[in-house]
Amino acid sequence: MAVNFVSLNVVEGEILGLIGPNGAGKTTLFNLITGLYPPSKGRIVFEEKDITAAAPHARCRLGIARTFQLVRPFPQLTVLENVSIGRAYGRDSIKNRLQAEAEALEILEKVGLADRVSEKAHSLTLVHRKRLELARALATKPKLLLLDELLAGLNPSEVSASMELIQSIRNTGITIIMVEHLVKAVFGLSDRIVVLNAGQKIAEGKPAEVANNPRVIDAYLGSETYATH
Amino acid sequence: MMRRIVMRRIGMRDVAMTSPAALTRSRAWRGPVLMAGVIALAALVPVLIDKQDTLNLLFLICLHITLGQSWNILAGFAGQTSLGHAAFFGIGALVTRTLWLNGMFFPVAFLLSGLAAVAFAMLIGVPTFRLRGAYFAIGTLGIAEVLRITVSQNLPLISTMPAAEIAAYNLTLRYYVALALALTTIGAAALLLRSSWSLGILAVREDEEAAQATGVNVLGHKLLALFISSFFAGLAGGLFAFQQISYYPSAAFSPVWTFDALLITFIGGLGTIGGPVLGAIFFILVRQRLAVTLVEVHQIVFGILFILIVLVFPGGLMGAWDRLRPRAIAEALRSRRQLHKS
Repeated sequence: MAVNFVSLNVVEGEILGLIGPNGAGKTTLFNLITGLYPPSKGRIVFEEKDITAAAPHARCRLGIARTFQLVRPFPQLTVLENVSIGRAYGRDSIKNRLQAEAEALEILEKVGLADRVSEKAHSLTLVHRKRLELARALATKPKLLLLDELLAGLNPSEVSASMELIQSIRNTGITIIMVEHLVKAVFGLSDRIVVLNAGQKIAEGKPAEVANNPRVIDAYLGSETYATH
Repeated sequence: MMRRIVMRRIGMRDVAMTSPAALTRSRAWRGPVLMAGVIALAALVPVLIDKQDTLNLLFLICLHITLGQSWNILAGFAGQTSLGHAAFFGIGALVTRTLWLNGMFFPVAFLLSGLAAVAFAMLIGVPTFRLRGAYFAIGTLGIAEVLRITVSQNLPLISTMPAAEIAAYNLTLRYYVALALALTTIGAAALLLRSSWSLGILAVREDEEAAQATGVNVLGHKLLALFISSFFAGLAGGLFAFQQISYYPSAAFSPVWTFDALLITFIGGLGTIGGPVLGAIFFILVRQRLAVTLVEVHQIVFGILFILIVLVFPGGLMGAWDRLRPRAIAEALRSRRQLHKS
């Protein structure tokens, strides 16, 4: 069982950081929230509505969007098409294609991809593909955005630019849960942090509290620092 | 708002103008004019040429454009490689033939071929789409074969037009029906590609899980592509039933119809509007030529050709054209620059 008895609450408008060693079940939790995997037990509640049985696309239309750990834009489609799909099928979707494309273009401007609209997604660099995936998720007009290691593999200047982007997304009122290995980023951005280890929640609280929690140091940070067990 | 969209679109095009690829785009009017010319020429053929075998060849091209394009909508746009296309073609042929020869007004019997194929697609759509990739391909092939065997067991006798119908047989009329059907199918595929529905269909082809996460109802869009695809495949079958003087009912269910559609689409270019058109013209002309000189052996030639195309030109004729085009433009630019220097 990848995730066991994890109770996770996210408050509207906050950034919740989700950390834990590899294999802790962070991505599995995302897959449960977005409906990619059905849970064998437990409930998923979004805005006081039980969505445990809802299909993945229905959850997206309710306002839950995500990015993938290994980026997955639609490779053979153009940048504009990728984001238009989000606008044409997400929450408050627009069925008129021209209008969906126009709004997609606005979102692409926000993430800095407006000059690449007609390029195929597979021809972009990693940082641009990550931006594109973020733009596609934003185009679904989410209330809750799940970011799965958005900053992994980026260089320092790309990381700080992306951190600003995440902050600006939160300022528009979107709630964010972010899985991140980059300590500086996750502690800098998060209002609260939840720590998972081997499918269990081992700590939860403000970044400063979590950083000093001995269980966290032992399970997560300590695995490298204290090799003697 | 609309004005702003238009301005943006124009703005985008301006940016594109500076690139070499825009050189061809600025001649965008050539496409529609060329297309209108080809359509006009195709419509005038029966007036200009009095040869029945030429007309027959053009009929076959139109039939195969319809067949290929209908398969392309499902396999090329939605990414669902069905090997059961013959089932829709066969059902269409059976329905039109039976109703028409029993006295129904042909246009109605013809339209019902498409609708009957869609009805069958509704029946098998949900269960077969539980399968993916190779399993889907084999599953659909199995269904089509079951249908073929059932029909050949229950309708073993050859179906022949009544003598009066044969006496009044008009190939020109059949050619015009085929031309209209081919143009309608191409038009429907092009319209579909411009709609917002196609965004969801293409997303399903690219990545089902990412499509779901972006709000696309995956099963719904697969079914949509299947219904459109089967409608035109059924009509192609109805056209076949209208054209053939006599044939075994099971012949319309032969897997040949599936594999011809597949070959045509791959030769021309999977997932493009022009692909099945070019593919069908190439396929019919080459097959006609090879069938005369090599008789049955020509099937092997197509087998080898198919492998070569998949390996060397994965985009088919359309892809080959795209690959060669930028090079041609770069060369033209280079020679112009040299002219300026000298």
